[in-house]
Amino acid sequence: MDPRMCRKISSSESLPDVDNEEYEVSTIIAPQESDENFMLDGSPEPHSVTWLDNDQIDELDLNLDDQTNLCFHRVDSADIIYRSKKKKCKMVGKYVMGDVLGEGSYGKVKEMLDSETLCRRAVKILKKRKLRRIPNGEQNVQREIQLLRILRHKNVIELVDVMYNDEKQKMYLVMEFCVGVLQDMLEASPGKKFPQRQAHDYFTQLLDGLEYLHGQGVVHKDIKPGNLLLTLDQKLKITDFGVAEALDMFSPEDTCYTGQGSPAFQPPEIANGAEQFSGVKVDIWSSGVTLYNMTTGRYPFEGDNVYRLLESIGRGEPAPPPATLGPALGQLLTNMLKRDPDLRPTVHEIRKHSRWVQARPPLEAGERLVSPRSRRSDELHTSTVIPYLVERHYPSAQDYFTERDLRHELGDGGSRTLSTAELSDAASSRRKRRWHSSCGRLPSCRLT
Amino acid sequence: MFNPDFNDYQLTSIITECCGGVAVVYSALYKPSNQNVAIKRYFVDKTKENASLIQQDILTRKELQHANILPYLTSFVHGRELYVVSPLMTFGSCRDILDRYFHEGLPELACAIVLRDVLQALQYLHKQLYIHRSVRASHVLVGANGGVRLSGLRSAASLLLRGRRQRHLHQLPPPDHDNTNLMWLSPELLEQNLKGYDEKSDIYSVGVLCCELGNGAVPFAEVPSTLMLTEKVRGSRPQLLDCSTFPEPCLDDTEMKSMYNTDSGVGDSADAVCRLRALYAARKLSDSFHQLSDLALQRDPDKRPSATQLLNHPFFKQIRKTDYLPGLIGRVKPIKPDPNDMSALLLQEKLSEMEIEKTTEWDF
Repeated sequence: MDPRMCRKISSSESLPDVDNEEYEVSTIIAPQESDENFMLDGSPEPHSVTWLDNDQIDELDLNLDDQTNLCFHRVDSADIIYRSKKKKCKMVGKYVMGDVLGEGSYGKVKEMLDSETLCRRAVKILKKRKLRRIPNGEQNVQREIQLLRILRHKNVIELVDVMYNDEKQKMYLVMEFCVGVLQDMLEASPGKKFPQRQAHDYFTQLLDGLEYLHGQGVVHKDIKPGNLLLTLDQKLKITDFGVAEALDMFSPEDTCYTGQGSPAFQPPEIANGAEQFSGVKVDIWSSGVTLYNMTTGRYPFEGDNVYRLLESIGRGEPAPPPATLGPALGQLLTNMLKRDPDLRPTVHEIRKHSRWVQARPPLEAGERLVSPRSRRSDELHTSTVIPYLVERHYPSAQDYFTERDLRHELGDGGSRTLSTAELSDAASSRRKRRWHSSCGRLPSCRLT
Repeated sequence: MFNPDFNDYQLTSIITECCGGVAVVYSALYKPSNQNVAIKRYFVDKTKENASLIQQDILTRKELQHANILPYLTSFVHGRELYVVSPLMTFGSCRDILDRYFHEGLPELACAIVLRDVLQALQYLHKQLYIHRSVRASHVLVGANGGVRLSGLRSAASLLLRGRRQRHLHQLPPPDHDNTNLMWLSPELLEQNLKGYDEKSDIYSVGVLCCELGNGAVPFAEVPSTLMLTEKVRGSRPQLLDCSTFPEPCLDDTEMKSMYNTDSGVGDSADAVCRLRALYAARKLSDSFHQLSDLALQRDPDKRPSATQLLNHPFFKQIRKTDYLPGLIGRVKPIKPDPNDMSALLLQEKLSEMEIEKTTEWDF
């Protein structure tokens, strides 16, 4: 290893004025080194340059951690050079594309910015090729679009725009921008659960949304923390209407025939393979499991695999809610998780009768609200489109800049975001990676 | 009291069309008391979303009472349109005044009076836990006796949500028809991140208003919105143009013009631009004016002073009790009933009828 290859051990150490920012440097070049298209300090001899990727840097990190006796090679801050990778600005319709927010079997979800209203959006990109491989894929998407076009409620995700690209065989579903998924927040929180106060805030909004949906004759059939999103102002949005069903408006019953939801959240009637069942009560059951999960960090039924799980749902009784939840919440959960769908309350009945729903529980001592920011290194969830815009509007922007430049810029009053604009290439690729991996681990159903 | 009855009002002229053709403002005579009023007529059917915004506007204005906020008198439905009655602001909006009479900006003392009154309105609004979110010259109206009133409350937002006080808001204000409103909005509001924004966002808009009133041109006009966003996020701020900030540069014509366009957006003709440029380079605005706009336009909202603090700024010390706004903007003619306008009004009525006919298709 070239001894001049210096690695910042911690950004807060070397950049004391930005201790809250964490960024990774994708490339570090030692002083007096340059290559053909990269001349610095008039250095005449092009030397070889070692480029490090993130993994190698991580390795370096480990090595450094292990050694107790470290020898630091002093390098002037003007000699540490960063290269900003070009972010190619891409437009789809009037929207500017940003980074990937998540990935599913159908394609990616990316952030976008409406270039006219400057409103942040999320876009679900569906590839026809991938859709064909998913059972009922195209049909589900069609249904989702149809339903979302009609539905309008503060707790139901809004479909803003639909665009097609025939050439690329892609479809773009433009939606409201959300900062987080309850599932992710749960995974990142201590005990994988929320304080009751927070669970109450979400659950009551879930009830609002469900009440609206059921009033519109729509059964969601896949309610789970993974399908509940949060906006910047902590509004809950029910999303993913891929397996939802619009009931026959003229039928007095809510009979459904197919269930495709996630196993852990399925009611006994579906687990047992009933040919027809009440759709509304499926949502009640799944919401019950969701509430159970949000408040205990566990599931009422567990199994090593899908078959065991469905078997235990189909045959057994749910694990009784822990007594620590208190009688009001315990009672609500027991009612929602009744084996007989007819005995499960409706949304209206829950509101009317549940003491837990009516009284907002206080935040207990020692409890802390889980924020959607815990996942990403960018705590504020700043727009990931900005760096692309910078590339677009400032084509001559410096490709290379030194650490001194950086300090200088950061030292300018209130230009904290400058770092996001200039630097975030490195920062966001790391961020993206994290986000990816967190989504990659996320199975469509949870069996634990 | 004003009767909510169309027959009690006599329309006298069209003042302006607004909200992208969704509404027209008329001057009118309230017959029972012979008072001049302004009537805003909304074509509610034209857009669905707007109905709730108009409702919001009326509800907010009903709740608020301040000498510097445009009061709501009454409203009624006549035919298929909604009419909202307000006092007549004879000199129109500051934007109209700038466009018609003061391309290079208002005299500094007039700016001071207008800004003071706007800040007083904001001081009150913020105390009532409202954020205005569309402070701009077109929403600042000047009445016959020089009274300045803030309008445009349809994009105002309350910090109270179901009885609980929010620290921050996160949503963009409702979009206007051409999205020009974005130019006055603060960087933190446009960023839409978890930090959100609060009433300090209005203070930033006051800073933009400072430049608008002082320069005549709207900062960031003629710049793509996305560039305006990155500029603001990166912390560059608009400036008042005078010899200190705008020294006569020796640039050739094309360079100068392109620079001009991106700076202030007066792009009519090179000649006009040249003249304006010379005007800016020759004048000197007071240091306190520069200071005020710089204070308000700070990138970090926590560093911006509140409306109350800004009102104590030395810039406003120059105003004396005897200063009279209409006197300072003497060139401006008040709105008068104009028979030509009325013919335009009638013509428009006919046009709208024709539009309806157009939709019925021929069927042979």
